[in-house]
Amino acid sequence: MTADNWSFVFAAYGLAVVVLVTYWRFLVRRERELSEGDTLRRHGSGMPEPQTERRSP
Amino acid sequence: MKRLLGAVTVVGLVAGLVMAFGIAPREATQGNVQRIMYLHVPSVWVAYLAFAVVLVASVAYLARRSEPADRLAHASAEVGVLFTGLTIATGSIWGKPTWGTWWTWDARLTTVSILFVMYLGYLLLRGMIDDRERGARFAAVLGIVAAFNIPLVHFSVYWWRTLHQPPSLMKPGPSTMPGVIVAALLVNFAAFTLLYVYFVTRRARVLRLEAEAEA
Repeated sequence: MTADNWSFVFAAYGLAVVVLVTYWRFLVRRERELSEGDTLRRHGSGMPEPQTERRSP
Repeated sequence: MKRLLGAVTVVGLVAGLVMAFGIAPREATQGNVQRIMYLHVPSVWVAYLAFAVVLVASVAYLARRSEPADRLAHASAEVGVLFTGLTIATGSIWGKPTWGTWWTWDARLTTVSILFVMYLGYLLLRGMIDDRERGARFAAVLGIVAAFNIPLVHFSVYWWRTLHQPPSLMKPGPSTMPGVIVAALLVNFAAFTLLYVYFVTRRARVLRLEAEAEA
């Protein structure tokens, strides 16, 4: 019977989860920072905010 | 759209985990450590896909000087480097209990390391050149040249005597693996492809916002 080496399996999957979640969080944080900066620049320059689609009542 | 893609990706990844740990059987020779394959092989698939996209987007950029193509190449290279790193790390973790070593200068491991370093260089090159247009042009050339390493990585197991096993799925002819293992791999391929699309879409958007902030 072969040894199962579950610790190696969990190490591989655990590492993948940490790396992928860290990258996802980096993308979300960076996008939020840039979007907020964009909104502030628009306010500062007097440019109109991008309008979302208006729905009729 | 972004949220929908994210939700579908999460569902795909959960399905992939269920297939890898719940449906796929314990492999007779290696035992449960073989379940690392459902992470390792889709990771290298995403790396191949990402660098192929870099190649196409780089050609498009040089032909048309299209900024979206440049952003796509940049985003895809970054995600490709991430998944190549993951491939190397998970392969090393899998190698220890099966080969008895974390690392060996085997043809497949060496060529994939060269691939990793080349695209890491691609990202560093982009960061080093201040002139955006010049940086994009140089990176596009490197993105085309580096892509020639992909077939070298893939066929290294046929061209040289290696410790690494030949491709499990990405080869001509029918698979010799049991259907349930192939199905588990295919679900993970689909889930990782969705994850690639999700990451590249978000990264390309961040790059666009960065360019707008600098302008």
